[in-house]
Amino acid sequence: MHLTVIPERCSGCKVCELACSVGRQGVNNPKKSRIRVMVLYPHPVIRMPIVCKQCGVPKCGDGCPTSAIYRENGIVQLDREKCISCNQCLTSCPFGAMFLHEDIEQPLKCDLCDGKPLCVEACPKEALKFHPKHILGQAHRLAAARNYAKMSKVEYMDGGQRKVLHYTKARGKKDER
Amino acid sequence: MSVKGGYFFRILDVDLTRGETTIVPIDESFVLKYIGGRGFGARLVADHLKKSGGKCDPLGPENILVIAPGPLTGVYLPASGKNSFVTLSPATGIYGDSSMGGVFGVELRQAGYDAVVLRGRAPELSVLTIEDDRVGILPLPQAAGVSTLEAEKLVREATGDEDMKIASIGMAGENGVVFSCVNADWSRNAGRIGIGAVMGSKNLKSIAVRGSKDLPVYDLDALVRVSREGYDYLKSHEFFRFWQEQGLMSVVDYANAMGILPTHNFKETVFDRADKMNGYVMEDRYKISDTACFGCSMSCGNVCLVREGKYRGTVTEGPEYESAAMLGSNLGASNFAYILKANALCDDLGVDTISTGSIIGSMIEGLEKGILTQEDLDGDEITWGDEEGILRLIGKIAGREGVGDTLAGGAFAILKRWPDMEGVLSHVKGLEQSAYDARAAISMALGYGTSDIGAHHTRAWTVASELENGAGWGLEEKAEFVIYHQTIRPLFDMLGVCRLPWIELGFPEEYYQRFYQAVTGVERSMDDLLECSRHVYDLTRTINVTLGIDRKDDYPPRRTLVDPVPSGPTKGNVVDRDEYEKILDLYYEKRGWDSDGKPSLSL
Ligand code: SF4
Repeated sequence: MHLTVIPERCSGCKVCELACSVGRQGVNNPKKSRIRVMVLYPHPVIRMPIVCKQCGVPKCGDGCPTSAIYRENGIVQLDREKCISCNQCLTSCPFGAMFLHEDIEQPLKCDLCDGKPLCVEACPKEALKFHPKHILGQAHRLAAARNYAKMSKVEYMDGGQRKVLHYTKARGKKDER
Repeated sequence: MSVKGGYFFRILDVDLTRGETTIVPIDESFVLKYIGGRGFGARLVADHLKKSGGKCDPLGPENILVIAPGPLTGVYLPASGKNSFVTLSPATGIYGDSSMGGVFGVELRQAGYDAVVLRGRAPELSVLTIEDDRVGILPLPQAAGVSTLEAEKLVREATGDEDMKIASIGMAGENGVVFSCVNADWSRNAGRIGIGAVMGSKNLKSIAVRGSKDLPVYDLDALVRVSREGYDYLKSHEFFRFWQEQGLMSVVDYANAMGILPTHNFKETVFDRADKMNGYVMEDRYKISDTACFGCSMSCGNVCLVREGKYRGTVTEGPEYESAAMLGSNLGASNFAYILKANALCDDLGVDTISTGSIIGSMIEGLEKGILTQEDLDGDEITWGDEEGILRLIGKIAGREGVGDTLAGGAFAILKRWPDMEGVLSHVKGLEQSAYDARAAISMALGYGTSDIGAHHTRAWTVASELENGAGWGLEEKAEFVIYHQTIRPLFDMLGVCRLPWIELGFPEEYYQRFYQAVTGVERSMDDLLECSRHVYDLTRTINVTLGIDRKDDYPPRRTLVDPVPSGPTKGNVVDRDEYEKILDLYYEKRGWDSDGKPSLSL
């Protein structure tokens, strides 16, 4: 299973940060969340939830002097026994998906909540998806195929009514990723 | 009652003249009585006014600006991103506040304060930085005259921190435009009553905040239970998706169909080109993404981009209904790309879109009626739908150039220079009317007339209910309905949450009592909370009475009482003056104020 982020859908509401900090740290503090939403404007306009991608080759582990970062059952884990809080992983992760808070000694890291990520459940925009791996890329493959046909909408009859189906909207009403 | 959460029990007091900061403790009885946000602000402004002998120049260093989130701001519950700015208004000379959404207030609360009080005047243009317990005042002369977004950039450069949440004023705030805003998170504004000018008068360009503290919540498990239920409630609402898609822009069609859409400076209430500037036009051609304030699943914000034509490249968050109506139909303009441009310009310069649209509309009508001459407008000929003329005038207001210097002074300055504009410029107590015509709904007229900040709809937006269900209501019920709105709506501002889930998707009131209880550990009924809000309304009235307000100031804009609606579904409607006197009497009586509108409370 893979936690997929769809930034185009994200509204920047930070409900994911709240659900994570409340559920995992037991405090109402988005600064203690393992997912963070970056909001940029006006050029470009982007809301990007940053969260661990559970990389096959976890770059965050590069340079970890105690080899505290390891991968198990598809999840990149931090061995809290071994970790010496040197914070090397914060700069090694190319996505910035490791977080620190001064109240907490060791880095905060997403571990997919035992297979039921709280952020995914809480997101009101379906900008976070928890998918089996074979789903990854399907939407793009579908979009590429449709684009090739240059079809933006089709009209069809449904129960005697004329209906129009738009293919090009990026808002994801019809195109599920 | 003992308060077990919801507060840090401290206020940060910043004296900008001396560059000194003090932590002022507050106690349990204070937080129980005033709750937070607007409630704290009203109490602090009242105290200050009392100390100043009942006099205070809103743009003098002696005025204070209170920034106060509420006990629910930033908490895991729907739409908890609100934060109140409270001060004495340079537009009206009386009490004023505005509630800002976004994330700024959450950050401020996480820095560990229940409110920040700004007083005095910094020796040069500066930025106030608040990073938890570290507070500093940094000179920022390089930001003079720059837009709100550029100010943000300059602050990020000066502090070396990309992540701080920043509230700034634009050129208009620096120039003391009495309807200038404080802008944060790109497009969230503390608007209407000139809070930008108050900040500018204090030589403060920006406030930059970073907070890291846990928000005090008494019973987190209970909170999570109620909140999940609340989020589910909203999600299952039949209009939830539609609301995410259009947000407040959906109101354009509604207002036009009901005959309450301000058109050509409130002369008409129906716009024949409303379908060129409604939510569907926005969705189909301009919207590129959704935005939300903190904690909000309803994401009513819309980011729009103009892809072609002369406004190509304009990108803005918005407009929402008020801005679209006031800068669009009210000025006889329907080109949505222009509306986006005007909205973006107002945000950049830091002026309120409602007052700007109202004032420019009155200028066009003034010219049309011959009250004004072309010379009065520096030789400019400006007509309905004249996009370039409007945009030019917005720039002149912010820069106080030519006639812009008068317009920047708001309704009072305009009426002082051209007294005949009284019937043309719609205002109450010096604040220009917002985007709902009140001639077909006397409760709305009463709402405007008795709003404590002037002609703004947020205190009592009763027009929809009266038009839809009010056929059988008597004056008494209407007066009660206005008071009910003026009581519950301020409570949202006191708690630090947004009213839109409640008013737009019928989110039940009782949730707020449950949220409050989970967060503070205080068991109180909704009625008890509403009693606090009612008291705050009496208090803001008392502030206003101290500053010279009485019955004579409680009337709706002249047009509402004089000019019948010329066409459309509300055709022929006008509020009858005798009826209005009656409802005003009833209103005072039900509030326990005397027949001159004075409460028995003292400051
Ligand atoms: S909850 Fe969803 S929409 Fe909201 S900020 Fe997180 S990812 Fe974005």
